[in-house]
Amino acid sequence: MLACLCTVLWHLPAVPALNRTGDPGPGPSIQKTYDLTRYLEHQLRSLAGTYLNYLGPPFNEPDFNPPRLGAETLPRATVNLDVWQNLSDKLRLTQNYEAYSHLLCYLRGLNRQAATAELRRSLAHFCTSLQGLLGSIAGVMAALGYPLPQPLPGTEPTWSPDPAHSDFLQKMDDFWLLKELQTWLWRSAKDFNRLKKKMQPPAAAVTLRLEAHGF
Amino acid sequence: MVFQIEISRINTSNVIWVDYYSTTVKWNQVLHWSWESELPLECATHFVRIRSRVDDARVPEPRFWSNWSSWKEVNEQNSLGHKASSVFPVDKLVEEGSNVTICYISRSHQNNVSCYLDGVRMHVEQLDPNVSAFHVNNVAFVRETGTNIFCEMDPKDDAGTVLFVSKVLEEPKDFSCETQDFKTLHCTWDPGSDTSLVRKQPYQSYTLFESFSGEKRLCEHKNWCDWQIAQDSQEMYNFTLVAENYLRKRSVNILFNLTHRVRPMTPKVFFKNISATNATMTWRVHSTGNHRTLLCQIELHGEGKVIQHNASIKVNGEYLLSELEPDTQYMARVHCGDANHFWKWSEWSGENFTTLEAAPSEAPDVWRDVKSELGNRTVTLFWKPLSKSHANGKIRFYNVIVENLDKPSELEPVPIPAPANHTKLALDQCSYRIHVTANNSVGTSPASVIVISGDPGNQVEEERVNVTADGFSLSWKPQSGDVTGYVVEWCDRPQDGSCDLQWENLGPNTTSTVISSDAFRPGVRYNFRIYGISTKRIAYLLEQKTGYSQELAPLVNPQVVMSNLTSHSFTLSWKDYPTETQRSFIRGYHVYLKPKEGQCHPGFEKAALSDNSVCCKYKIDKPEQKTFVVENLQPESIYEFFVTPFTSVGEGPLDAFTKVTTPDEHSHLLIRIILPTVFCVVLIMIVCYLNSQWMKEKCYPDIPDPYKSSVLSLIKSKENPHLTIMSVKDCIPDAIEVINKPEGSKIQFSGTRNSLTETEITKPAYLYLLPAEKNYSGPGPCICFENFTYNQAASNSGSCGHVPVPPTAPSQRGLLTSLENLLKALEKNYMNSQGEIPAGETTLNYVSQLASPMSGDKDSLPTDPPVPALCSEYKMQMAIPLGLASPPLSENSSVSSVTLLDQGDHHH
Repeated sequence: MLACLCTVLWHLPAVPALNRTGDPGPGPSIQKTYDLTRYLEHQLRSLAGTYLNYLGPPFNEPDFNPPRLGAETLPRATVNLDVWQNLSDKLRLTQNYEAYSHLLCYLRGLNRQAATAELRRSLAHFCTSLQGLLGSIAGVMAALGYPLPQPLPGTEPTWSPDPAHSDFLQKMDDFWLLKELQTWLWRSAKDFNRLKKKMQPPAAAVTLRLEAHGF
Repeated sequence: MVFQIEISRINTSNVIWVDYYSTTVKWNQVLHWSWESELPLECATHFVRIRSRVDDARVPEPRFWSNWSSWKEVNEQNSLGHKASSVFPVDKLVEEGSNVTICYISRSHQNNVSCYLDGVRMHVEQLDPNVSAFHVNNVAFVRETGTNIFCEMDPKDDAGTVLFVSKVLEEPKDFSCETQDFKTLHCTWDPGSDTSLVRKQPYQSYTLFESFSGEKRLCEHKNWCDWQIAQDSQEMYNFTLVAENYLRKRSVNILFNLTHRVRPMTPKVFFKNISATNATMTWRVHSTGNHRTLLCQIELHGEGKVIQHNASIKVNGEYLLSELEPDTQYMARVHCGDANHFWKWSEWSGENFTTLEAAPSEAPDVWRDVKSELGNRTVTLFWKPLSKSHANGKIRFYNVIVENLDKPSELEPVPIPAPANHTKLALDQCSYRIHVTANNSVGTSPASVIVISGDPGNQVEEERVNVTADGFSLSWKPQSGDVTGYVVEWCDRPQDGSCDLQWENLGPNTTSTVISSDAFRPGVRYNFRIYGISTKRIAYLLEQKTGYSQELAPLVNPQVVMSNLTSHSFTLSWKDYPTETQRSFIRGYHVYLKPKEGQCHPGFEKAALSDNSVCCKYKIDKPEQKTFVVENLQPESIYEFFVTPFTSVGEGPLDAFTKVTTPDEHSHLLIRIILPTVFCVVLIMIVCYLNSQWMKEKCYPDIPDPYKSSVLSLIKSKENPHLTIMSVKDCIPDAIEVINKPEGSKIQFSGTRNSLTETEITKPAYLYLLPAEKNYSGPGPCICFENFTYNQAASNSGSCGHVPVPPTAPSQRGLLTSLENLLKALEKNYMNSQGEIPAGETTLNYVSQLASPMSGDKDSLPTDPPVPALCSEYKMQMAIPLGLASPPLSENSSVSSVTLLDQGDHHH
């Protein structure tokens, strides 16, 4: 019995939950990414209000829901619940990374066309924050050992006015860009919350080991 | 030729437009005619046809129209493309104020169509099942991203468009060109409204044309443009500025000679030779070509004033700024213009400079306050800081020189650092001349001289001062002789004790002034003293005045004392207020009296108080009168009175009335009789009390003196002629009876413990006497006496009379004698508790009542009764001669109240 207890004590430093000096793992960076998505959600709420007012009615009306005509190229955040629940960590992170890569490009295009300096400043600030989120996701992926998705050469998404598009359709695209970005941030919060819970170290590990050894 | 053109909409029979177009035609020439439809062509099918006729005077009449061409259909509905619905026109750019028709086309039949222009629902007209339209008149600019038009219908099929409404392009205003260096022409204008629209129309462009040179330049900026002057010295220029956007052009033109559009460059300014009152300003204007003459304006700003000078220069300018104030900061600036063909002033160019300090130019204004105390005088010198124009710099210190006029002495200046404004000097009764100078870094001011005379000065009557809207109006009698001026002195803050002495100097010809101060407050009394200043600089008090800037009603009433109350009158008296607390001049007093009946006493008049109650009022017109006798009162009546001062602005506050009840008319007579009577009775009682013993013995002794009794003579004569009176001295006492007089019931002690316990409880006055036994080896006998000091009856020698004396027991005589001795001894021992034992009575058993004679320990208490407790009671200490101690009496011989305990009962 005593020998068993000594063995347990000898192995205690090896228990991950108690080894505080070791690598913290991806947990903290997931938490930071989660916090960043919540912050961006809040920031976008203000920015979208300003931008939609700049576009004018009906885009700034709360119940306005135009057809998604020109916004098909935008990465869709909505997904079937079962599919979302069964997403692997790698795929979940990859989808997030790709989505924000595209959205960031589109958003920069939006910034270039903004007429007022104040709006340009707000958009630029948001782009910087979004760039930070992208880097944070890349950090989580690296911590988990997942490679970053490489964009195909020449497929850099752009958000420039399509000459064939009427200005009304352009505005609808802007509207959808902001709406999709809002949905993605909401989804990402869910994604990283799920990842956060999943990555939490099992607290009962020590107890279980003691039970196995001693009794 | 003349052409007639017809346009139909939707169907050919619906002709909406007929137009004629005349032109000279050539062979094989293609002609162009355009028409803009109010309704976008995408909204409906349009048809057009044309016919012609010769329109030449050379061709004789009749001239006939050709046949109509066939209808040409214009169908733009195909532009719907793959979309289910669309709104037209798409992204149309119009100017503010235009009229626009919008249509909504759908593939399906339209039902419940709603169209909104920037959120506002429009009235829609259905042109056909698939087309609806609405008209907008006088469109307004809303935002640079355009006005959104959005249409929806049932089933859901939404579409929209943006109508770009541009502001109307304005003609550039204030267009002008000028040169500073004959190399570049700088042209500026006011562009007016911004007509740009996001993703539709950029900011309007500006282009500069010069007609003489034929050159053109597209301006990069909204409101200015630079034009390079050619080397060939072109003098005349004709500029046209064209503003242009997608909708219109606007232009403005100017023609000028280059030399008339010269604006000199900004001068560069320097200062030199700055002194206390002068400074030289120099400036240089960089080349404007050909050394043109320039007109320059110099402005000197300082002390809140602006002084302007003009100068004509070529390139370098210099100007002497004179009559400046010492130690003053100035700002001088200059700008120049072309003297020959003035166009515009150059930019101002200026610098700050400060003149140097100079010695103060005026003596400080000095005044003094003299306070005499015990033969010494404390003189406080006050001075006002010199004005900036007189200080000529920063005053660093004041020099005070005190010169004794009675005893010549060495003069030593006392420097007092600025910014002090007063100093105190302790002077004796001599006369002193005091010099005060102000000093800055450059020099000393003229001295201000004031003489403090040894003469204490005269006292003057205080007068009241007049108050006007401007302040206190003071006037005084002109002084003949050597008065060099007057000084009016007052305290700005007399109310808080700090005084804050102020003064005003006035010329010798002035006999009045008005004193005003922001510090003056209503309800505060201000005292003004007017001094005349002699040629020797001695100040003489001329007049003293007092007054209020605004009188206020009194806040307090005097403390009234009522005296001399009789049944018909009483006197009211009160003291004066301190002058400082008076808020106005008291003109008299009002005495209010509430009479018993409604009638007022003579001299009183009915008055209503501020609380609407009515009472009687007596007015005392003399403020110095501080007493008032209320007369004609009813005896045994209640009166209420109240005294308040009155002033020019009202009387004091309404206080509580003091009640007074007049006494009965005869009460004073009673007092005169009863008081002496009571006094006499008390006196008699005191005398009687003091002589009560003597009275008792004389009047009713306890033991009548047999020698004085008439009974004895009767017995002698009738029964026994030898009968004599026994003398107490002849008796030998064998027992002592002490009567316990205070106790109601006398207890017979049987010598048992139980009886003793009872005795302790009841605490009778008793005396224990033990037989004297020389061989007594036990604990010393304890003799306890009741403190007869507090038992008057027992201490009385007369108590001996209660001892029963059987007439047939001669031995009793000795007892009585011994008893008398004992009593004498007791009497002595009342006074001498220790050490004063009479001679012959040396054998005494003395027991201290305080010291316990028992030496046993506490453990033995149960077997050794706590007898010492009997002795530890506080009793007067006495000594009894052992020889007088009687042997124990038999139980039979004992009498009530006599207790002689045997040894077995008491262990001491």
